[in-house]
Amino acid sequence: MFRFFRDGLYRDYIILILVTIIAGAAVSSGVAWAVDVYFGDTIQEMIGDNGEFDLILHIREASEEAAVRELERIAQQQYPGAVISKTISLAGQVNYLFGFPKEAKTAETFSRLPSIFNAVPGLNSYTVIVEPSVLVRGVHPSISDTLQQRFNQIGGVSFAFRDGKNMLIVLEGAEHSKRVMNEVKQILKDYQVLEIRFPMGFDVDVQSTGDAVIQLLRKEYPGAKLANVSSTEYGEELDALMKTLVEMRHFLLSYASKVTIKLAPGSTVVMGEQIVVQGLSQQVPASGEEAASDHVVIEILEVNGDQAQGMIVSGSAAADGGVLTQPGYEYLSESKIGKPVGEVRIENERYRLNYAIEESLRLLRELDGLSVEAALAVERADKVLTTFQEALMQLEVLQVQMQQLNKGLAEKGAQSTSEQLIISLFINGLLKSIAKSGSETAEEFDLDQLENLDIASMRSSLESIAEQIGSIQEIDVQAIIDQVSDIRDSLPDLDDEEIGKSVRLVDNYIAGQVIPGERIQILVEKGPVDTEAVEPLIRSRLQNQYLNVYSIAAGTVNPDTRTEVFRILKEVRATIAGILSIVLVGVFLILDHATIFSTLKWFRANQKQPRHGLAKLMNPVALFSAAVGAAVLAATYWLSRAAVPYVSMATVAVIGMGLGAAVGIFSEKFSPVRADEIMAGLALGLNNAQIMHEIVIPDGRPGLLQLMNRAKQKF
Amino acid sequence: MLKIRGLRKQYGKHIAVDGVDLDVRRGETVVIMGPSGCGKSTMIRCVNRLTEPDAGEILVDGKSILSLDDQSLREFRRTVGFVFQQFNLIARLNVLDNVMFHLVLAGVPREQAEARARKALAKVGLESSEHKHPANLSGGEQQRVGIARALASNPQLMLWDEPTASLDPILIGEVLDVMEELVRTTNTTSIIVTHEVGFALKVADRIILMDKGKVVEEGSPRAIFADPQSEVGKKYQRLIAS
Repeated sequence: MFRFFRDGLYRDYIILILVTIIAGAAVSSGVAWAVDVYFGDTIQEMIGDNGEFDLILHIREASEEAAVRELERIAQQQYPGAVISKTISLAGQVNYLFGFPKEAKTAETFSRLPSIFNAVPGLNSYTVIVEPSVLVRGVHPSISDTLQQRFNQIGGVSFAFRDGKNMLIVLEGAEHSKRVMNEVKQILKDYQVLEIRFPMGFDVDVQSTGDAVIQLLRKEYPGAKLANVSSTEYGEELDALMKTLVEMRHFLLSYASKVTIKLAPGSTVVMGEQIVVQGLSQQVPASGEEAASDHVVIEILEVNGDQAQGMIVSGSAAADGGVLTQPGYEYLSESKIGKPVGEVRIENERYRLNYAIEESLRLLRELDGLSVEAALAVERADKVLTTFQEALMQLEVLQVQMQQLNKGLAEKGAQSTSEQLIISLFINGLLKSIAKSGSETAEEFDLDQLENLDIASMRSSLESIAEQIGSIQEIDVQAIIDQVSDIRDSLPDLDDEEIGKSVRLVDNYIAGQVIPGERIQILVEKGPVDTEAVEPLIRSRLQNQYLNVYSIAAGTVNPDTRTEVFRILKEVRATIAGILSIVLVGVFLILDHATIFSTLKWFRANQKQPRHGLAKLMNPVALFSAAVGAAVLAATYWLSRAAVPYVSMATVAVIGMGLGAAVGIFSEKFSPVRADEIMAGLALGLNNAQIMHEIVIPDGRPGLLQLMNRAKQKF
Repeated sequence: MLKIRGLRKQYGKHIAVDGVDLDVRRGETVVIMGPSGCGKSTMIRCVNRLTEPDAGEILVDGKSILSLDDQSLREFRRTVGFVFQQFNLIARLNVLDNVMFHLVLAGVPREQAEARARKALAKVGLESSEHKHPANLSGGEQQRVGIARALASNPQLMLWDEPTASLDPILIGEVLDVMEELVRTTNTTSIIVTHEVGFALKVADRIILMDKGKVVEEGSPRAIFADPQSEVGKKYQRLIAS
């Protein structure tokens, strides 16, 4: 078969192969480079220059206007000098870049990000892109504080802060990046999270089982510091849930009927025991009988001497009066009623609360009318005071007139007439009665005393009262009434039994703090623990042959977002180059090499020697084309610096082999040869190279081969 | 000039040429006739090794053709004109280029090659069609271009492989006329494979009849068709009589 390549054709074909490789590599790496540059520029536009922006805020498109106003307010009022820039919008979400002023780029600022931006309308989330930085992903919450402290101590680190499960280490300069990354990696090596994973559906008590594992590991690794961090793995969300449950329990207990048991002499109860009372049932409980379904069952919560506190766990004792006092009996197994234990007082807190709210509402409604009435009373009192002051002035005039009259009478030495006497007596009596109304102790009263009354002070007091009444009238009592009514209406509609069951469930969850799970996590310091070595030991200790032990890093180090994005871009570039290499080599094989392969096949079919045995079965053209495909693709792939994920060089060669073999086998379909023209060429004494240059290649598909052939083609 | 001894060619189980012996003198015109599939074309293709024989010997001027290396074989082929049944023209080249391109590739200066090509085209009456492409010519014209191409290299031996077999009956005449003229006016040794009995009678110095890969009869046209000895010869005689 290789006779075909004589007459210098082998040289031409080697050049074709080299040109194919170079052209394939150039085109694929060129396109990949162009894509890389395009995306690089786009990213530059998207996330700004290095260090310019610190955050990408993802905002709902509908709220954009309001969000921008708030961002501008934050930039102007809280962080003067902050920069804001809009970047790409995607699927109903607009993205804004936000850069803090240099002096505000502190750990304090970045740890407060949620509170800084919580008032931005429509804010979905944000991405921290502060630069230069080193990103540690998946930091285990149990060691995040420790790691933060250690990272802060690394030279060249400005500060470190937590961002969800990640930790960002902000650098003083980009030149520290490599060194800090190495040091961070070293620090992370000090920690190891050992994860014991149980089969699906196999829940374990992570606390007690984890402790058992720690005990086992301590024997094997006495120097290692071990801690069960299974629960912390659930993070802050679980803490918040626990707190909420505790508060809910308190509320439910205070909302439930208060049960106080005055124990009879000689009777004892213990926490957790249950007693039964008649409640609202028609059937009176009797010792030795079975409790009725509507009897009230109480669980003892607390015992103090001869008094105990309890909680209704079954039945209802809601009475209109709010208080129910009945004898209590032991509540035995199989619902049997035992001996009496004492007197049970059930105070319906919900009734009381409802009652108090209703009374408050009544008071509020009355208060509104009362203030109006009080204002009118003050106004009348003011009028009375005015009248009184005028009367007093008239009395003073009268007194003067009386004094003049008396003086006149005395000067004349005459006795008072009966009329004058009556007038004198009347005035004195009047003055005394007025004086008495001002001072009960006054036996004798004259007009001077009356004048000493502090009318101005009384008026001032009245004005003050009027002012206060005015203030009361200004209060929006109706709003308070509405709100209190809402509170009343929104109180949970729960009966004692429902409350009791809920409290028990919450107790079950909180009291033991048992978190069921399928995995246990042990933090190891000063390890590392060899998972392969300890797995059989843990399996044996926990008597579970199906569990697996894994070692998880305390965190993984990544460069900052920009570097990460560019790294991904590099991967994309390499992938594009790889895919293009395969496609281009396929195209070149079809356009150029298929012509050679089909001509080879024609010559082989017209060879002198007949073939026998294995040589007859084998298709050397297919083998040759497979080899060419493998060599061309492998070289193109390597030259274009391609790298498709999970595709090794050997795989690339195999792909090339497949491509080449396929093109070789179907070469006549891709590039049929004109046998009659080749035959004419042979008959006319042309050599193979001349036949290729003048007959086959010009008749073939346009491609590299034709392009290269033009220099040699004479016709 | 040409001596063939024990020539044999087999395709699978079919024996195309079975131990043929043949001698051709310089300047002689030999016509090979016989039924289709009797091995005529295979035999003349073996002469310039377009088909490689399985056994036998071919001597041209005493030189073994089968032992030639590639270079010598190509040089030999340049001295042999071959006219194909299907014309085998280069479709993308015009008439002139079709006739001269092998000369240029063989090292003949382009001007000389052009002159020789035009001369050859004139011999076949196509001097006015030199810029046409084969697709624009009739079958007869295309075959005449094929003949001109063979003549252009001034061959010492012309091999004609059923040159009229692919032509319409009305076009056959123009080709046969050209062939007859060429045979008469040139002193080139020719081996012509054809079914045209009338043409054979006119131009052949000697007729060879083949059947089933073997030479069954040979002789002058008059002798062969006047008193045929073979079954094939008798069939041809009946054909002439009718």
